[in-house]
Amino acid sequence: MYGQLICHWRRVWDRNAQKSVVVIKMSNKPNNVSGGTRNQAAVRNLTGWVVESVGHSVAAFRYSSAYLAVIAVVQVLLVTRALSLDVTFAPVVVGLVTFAVYLGDRIADADTDAETTPERAAFIQQHEHALNHAVSLSYGVAVALAVLGGPYALALTLLPGVFWVLYASNWLPTITAQFRRLKDVLLVNSLVVAFAWAVTLTALPLAFAGASVTPAAIVVFAYFFLSIFVNVEIPNVRDAEGDSAIGVETLPVVFGVTRTRRILYAIDIVTALIVVVAGAQGLLAPVFVAALLVGLAFSLCVTSLVGRTAHDDVLTLAAESEYLVVAIALIPAAL
Amino acid sequence: MVPITPLSLVLLATIVIGVAATLTAWRARPEPGSFPLVAMLAGQSWWSICLVFQIQATTLSEKVFWVDISWIGVVVIPVAWLAFSLDYTGRDQYLRPAYFAVVVVIPAITVGLTLTSDYHTLLYRDSWLVIQNGVLRLGQAVGPWFWVITVYTYLLGLLGSIPIFGLLTSEMRPFRGQSVALLLGTLAPWASNVFYLLGVFDTSGLDPTPVAFSISGVAYLAAVTRFQLFGASPSPTHRARRLVFTQMHDGAVVVDRQDTIVDMNEPAAAILGGEQTQVLGMPSASVIPSYDMLPMDGEAPEPLSIETPNGTNRYDVSVTRIDDVHGRFLGRVISFHDVSEILRERQRLKVLNRVLRHNLRTEANLIAGYADLLADTEETPESRLIKKHTQRIIDVGDKGRTIVELFDTNWATKQPRQVRELLETCISDVSKMHPNARLAIGDIPPESAVSPVLKPVLVNLIENGVEHNTNPKPWVHVSARADDETVAFHVIDDGDGIGEYERAVLARGDETPLEHGSGLGLWLVQWGVDIADGQLEFEDRSSGGTVVTVRVPRFFVADAE
Repeated sequence: MYGQLICHWRRVWDRNAQKSVVVIKMSNKPNNVSGGTRNQAAVRNLTGWVVESVGHSVAAFRYSSAYLAVIAVVQVLLVTRALSLDVTFAPVVVGLVTFAVYLGDRIADADTDAETTPERAAFIQQHEHALNHAVSLSYGVAVALAVLGGPYALALTLLPGVFWVLYASNWLPTITAQFRRLKDVLLVNSLVVAFAWAVTLTALPLAFAGASVTPAAIVVFAYFFLSIFVNVEIPNVRDAEGDSAIGVETLPVVFGVTRTRRILYAIDIVTALIVVVAGAQGLLAPVFVAALLVGLAFSLCVTSLVGRTAHDDVLTLAAESEYLVVAIALIPAAL
Repeated sequence: MVPITPLSLVLLATIVIGVAATLTAWRARPEPGSFPLVAMLAGQSWWSICLVFQIQATTLSEKVFWVDISWIGVVVIPVAWLAFSLDYTGRDQYLRPAYFAVVVVIPAITVGLTLTSDYHTLLYRDSWLVIQNGVLRLGQAVGPWFWVITVYTYLLGLLGSIPIFGLLTSEMRPFRGQSVALLLGTLAPWASNVFYLLGVFDTSGLDPTPVAFSISGVAYLAAVTRFQLFGASPSPTHRARRLVFTQMHDGAVVVDRQDTIVDMNEPAAAILGGEQTQVLGMPSASVIPSYDMLPMDGEAPEPLSIETPNGTNRYDVSVTRIDDVHGRFLGRVISFHDVSEILRERQRLKVLNRVLRHNLRTEANLIAGYADLLADTEETPESRLIKKHTQRIIDVGDKGRTIVELFDTNWATKQPRQVRELLETCISDVSKMHPNARLAIGDIPPESAVSPVLKPVLVNLIENGVEHNTNPKPWVHVSARADDETVAFHVIDDGDGIGEYERAVLARGDETPLEHGSGLGLWLVQWGVDIADGQLEFEDRSSGGTVVTVRVPRFFVADAE
């Protein structure tokens, strides 16, 4: 849906961009047009400018990984709400780190991404200088804010950066090579990514709030771990051929698309059972349980489309938007 | 969560700038100096972070813990600064693991002392809590090792600054900007640390050095982004200068004030016939033949002959004086340029020239004389042909002689010639040889003069117009026009024209056995124009013939006089 919205905006923007060119040509001959035409031209000009700006903003939001940062902020807010913690800088820190790490990764891989995601690679290459500064500044702000959360918050904030640097730098070739080969082993890449994010999302708000790990926190961790695992495996269906060619073992490569879909169904259902049991035990508020189940239902719908749609990018975006659905489901309760 | 105070806000800003600068430097890898700069900025950020935690700690043990931990960053900074400075300015030969191990001994001991601080008083003799202005502060009495690491830190900082100071006088503007930014970034925390240690300001017991890191971070970011710290690097220049000396084809010897050989490159060792290690430190006169005859500065007037096992080689020797910034004499660089082959070729050319000019001309004159005798008794077409072709051989010899004179003459020392007088002389000379030719002079700019090398050039162009002409009365018109800087001569004829083939050979500047011009005349013109620093153009006339334009620098009449 989100991808379709962007496509729609792009079409509108392209059409209006063409119109604005015409307007500019006309405006060079002011004596040949009436006052009414001038006003219409001005309106079209303004509209074109607005649409163009919105188009640019949407492209920047999408290609710079800012949307992932927003989803990460929502995830931490959900943790904060689920565990009844004080609102701290934790969501901002996670959002900034997400933005920095993903954008830094996209900048580093812009050349190799040019074939698979040409529009994104073009955007990244066009604005590389500014985006590099954005990465540095956002991670700097994240670290500074994490200092306010204390040593544990700082350590959790530095960890993704340290892993990212190790992964990208090839500074210690042997260790880096082994670290990189881990992703070739079945499930390891998805499990590591899911574990790292689930720890960060759950532990950082706790560290900021100075709270200890509770059974509810473990449940929240389990929810994020399993759901993020599903979200990581969904794009692997699209990449199955390429992964197989280079010897990377993923669920679709080993089990095929249909069995992968069934495995992901099973994980979603297990996640739902954990949430329901946690609700029954009083670890999570009923409203929260309901919202999470809505999100899982959405995830099941997305999973059902795995291998059945050509719009893989939209599917990936939809899977990542599961937490936005949970947040929206909580709005009536908040009101 | 940590409460926010003005001091913590400043420190947070320092951390933001420090981390951002660290990542910016990290991206510059593997540019020289990037990794040490990352280490230095990370050390600064770490010190600032520890200070925030130390300020916010509420117990003595916690505060002491954060001070101890901060030393990891403190000791990294000077080591990284020195490494950066050496790497960035191309002195990476000092960055060997053995040297590095020596440099980090004192910092490593310091970190070890912080980790075992409960068992000794070397770094801090005592620590206590004190409330100042309602705020809990840490008081510490420093021990003897504190002063050791402090002096050592300042020493490394100074050593690291020396190469960067050298860039302040660089001719390249970005290097000057980089060095200013780097030194500012280093001096700011130093100054604040000095003021703190001397007790100049009341900082309530807090070391304000990390606060000054905010200035460092901004300065380093400016160096990276504004002054292209990793985009325009001076690192190759230091080594390149040495490479020029060692890798140059010519031999080079450096002698000091006492004429002792203190440095030389491999070609020089080969020329002088000795091993570098043996020759260094020896008196120049014992190694360089005719050393006393060499000038103190400038080029030797005659090539220097040096005997080798393969024969005698000859070298153009030039001596360059080395002075310090105050103009005091330090020594000299003596360079040897092998001209043996050039001199041998010149010798061969001289012999060939003599054969062509003298022997061939003599024989040709004899043939022409006998042809005349034959014609006196019975003039036949054959005798006329013999005379004609013999005359051509003589003409070629004459042109060869003119060309030799062209190159042997030092035209720069000759007085410029007025255009009118020059053209009149040229026309007069050609008229004597070709009385049937109609030669005319057109417009001539007043008060203009040109290089005297134009005389043979113009004579040949006029002759060319007359000789390559089927008209019974060949016509050649010569004129000149001048602007502020140049004089353009136009030689117009109604002759056969100059073919594209001849022009192409001239434009290429080279002949092959299969592609060559028809004679020496046009080459003489081309080389003469080159010597005059001018330009030569050919253009066909619509009515037949050629317009040749020679454009040369203009001299004024005063110069000519």
